[in-house]
Amino acid sequence: MESPSRTGKTPSSAARGVRRVTFVVGLAALITGCREAPSARAASLKQVAATREEQLARRLAAAQTDSTKDPPVAMWIMPSELREISGLALTSRGTVLTHDDEIGKIYEIDPKAGIILKRFTLSGLPHGDFEAITIAGTDVYLLESNGKIFRFKEGADGAEVPYSKYDTHLGKECEFESMAFEADSARLVLVCKKVLMKGANHDLVIYRFPMPLTDSTRPTVITVPMSELAGANRWKSFHASDMNIDPVTGNYVIIASRQRAIAVVTPEGDVVRSGPIPAAADHNQAEGVAITKDNLLLISDEATHVPADLSVYPWRK
Amino acid sequence: MPVLRGLIDVLTMKSDRPVRRLVAYYVIVAIVVALLTTFFPREITAIAAKGIGDVSEGPTVLADALSSPTASGTFALGSLLGVVITTVMILFGALVLMLPVTWVYMSARPSGGQHNQNVVQTLIFLPLVVAGIVFMVQNSLALAFSLAGVVGAVRFRTTLRDTRDLVYIFLSIVVGFAAGVQSLAVGAVVSIIFNFVLIVTWRYDYGRNMLMTGASAQWSRPLEALASPTGDHQIPDRDLLLSLTPEKANALADRFGRVSATMGKKKKARYNSVLTVMTDDVPEAQKRVEEVLNKVTKRWDLDEIVTNVGKPSEIYYLTRLRKSVPRDTLLTAIHEHAGEAIESATLEGGEPVEDGKDAQ
Repeated sequence: MESPSRTGKTPSSAARGVRRVTFVVGLAALITGCREAPSARAASLKQVAATREEQLARRLAAAQTDSTKDPPVAMWIMPSELREISGLALTSRGTVLTHDDEIGKIYEIDPKAGIILKRFTLSGLPHGDFEAITIAGTDVYLLESNGKIFRFKEGADGAEVPYSKYDTHLGKECEFESMAFEADSARLVLVCKKVLMKGANHDLVIYRFPMPLTDSTRPTVITVPMSELAGANRWKSFHASDMNIDPVTGNYVIIASRQRAIAVVTPEGDVVRSGPIPAAADHNQAEGVAITKDNLLLISDEATHVPADLSVYPWRK
Repeated sequence: MPVLRGLIDVLTMKSDRPVRRLVAYYVIVAIVVALLTTFFPREITAIAAKGIGDVSEGPTVLADALSSPTASGTFALGSLLGVVITTVMILFGALVLMLPVTWVYMSARPSGGQHNQNVVQTLIFLPLVVAGIVFMVQNSLALAFSLAGVVGAVRFRTTLRDTRDLVYIFLSIVVGFAAGVQSLAVGAVVSIIFNFVLIVTWRYDYGRNMLMTGASAQWSRPLEALASPTGDHQIPDRDLLLSLTPEKANALADRFGRVSATMGKKKKARYNSVLTVMTDDVPEAQKRVEEVLNKVTKRWDLDEIVTNVGKPSEIYYLTRLRKSVPRDTLLTAIHEHAGEAIESATLEGGEPVEDGKDAQ
């Protein structure tokens, strides 16, 4: 019996197998190729940092020659994970720690190179209305708007760090958004954004807690009259959204998001100067401020209709 | 697909039970995902559980708003490839999750119900489109509003025969969303639970009027009869015929006509069975099977060869068995002689004839 051959050529199963294996290996190689080796990534990060610092130095030099204008010398756009960027705290390395507004997640940013260096979280990722951060020695302090303070050690990238909690018991008196550590007098300084007591006037109230914080710790209070703070400005109130300490003069540098204002106050409560923050129109929601040792003013803005950012200005005293 | 089907067959020991086959499929997917996660943890986390791995992403270069993107240009090519690979992976992930949903949709029909081929295909396409849209829109309110405007201009007015089909459509949207926001793990959990809940409620005909017979029984009986090894090859359920596509029905009619013509209308037909061989290597399979047929059948003829791309080709033989050779012996001989040259061999048809009596 003869059987007709009515079929075209079909690739053998071995050839198909080889083709499939080649495809899978090729795909794996493509994916692997897209991942940068850690050493290559570190090298390219260094290169980016060097280029950006050089660029920043050039812009600063240009800004020194024309001190009439106050554009930022750098403005880093924050990723979506940091759209609610809030307080800033300067580290001894010249970097800043910042945090998410709603969860206990801390980021370290190099403000000159515009690189997020690391992220770590508080154990259990606590939720809250976190408003300010500061560093005192080896401890980091994170402030909730109700006056509760989280204390923890700085963690490595990706780490989860344990914390302890301290209640200032001032949550009913004040809404807080500002905190800084005054190294000279070893005091934790908290500025009241809004006095919650009925009939309170608009004066700026500053609480100072001697360290270490214990249950028996009681703050001292100074009040800066609104009239002095406003000076020639037309502010009726000053809602402090963050504060930091000028590492050179030791003065308190306070910003107010709503008024788009910045004020410099001595530890004794005297107003050194006050006025609009640089490029005020561009700061829709300034939530963090810091002054570096090499005279740079850092201002962080929460995302509004534009992404969150960290702006760098020359600090003119 | 044949490889996947083969793997599922191995895991389920060729069981036809939908739950077993589903479990086998998900076990295979889980193994593949585990392997991929071992070798590419960052990529898999990025598409399956974005947000969970955010904490240990390592250094991130921020965009410089004051200068051209040259500063971050170092990563431009890598970022582009990264986006392409992420997109491909989320789309492929959505497809992997929706395949079993389509199987469940096609199998677990209520009594007498037919599945809608358009819905089956929509279940495959829709999550891909939704994932693409969501991937583009995420984190951008402006894009979301623009999209609403664009989609608002397109009108969908399809009436679904079975309102239950809508649930499948919703599921495909959920899987598409999960893929788009790079949280395929959520989509996987939803689709897996959906599939098993649906299979179980269908199997036990949850909510059925107690006076009616079970849906699964109604569905499985005709198939059992059709695939019965006893040789009772009839199609007792007209719904089964109605569920064929026009192309399939025509092809079936052609084959019936041709086989009928070949067999003739004599009392004793020349051939009484049809041997179907599935193979990836037609010439080799043909050679080996025909050697067996020469030895063990009374007579045979090659009826048709259907060459397929992407799935095994089919060879059909008309055969007349010797009475001394049971059908199982023929199939065993074919499997032994053809070995790996064939995927499967099945014999449909009548009774063997006695040696000598029918010899022509």
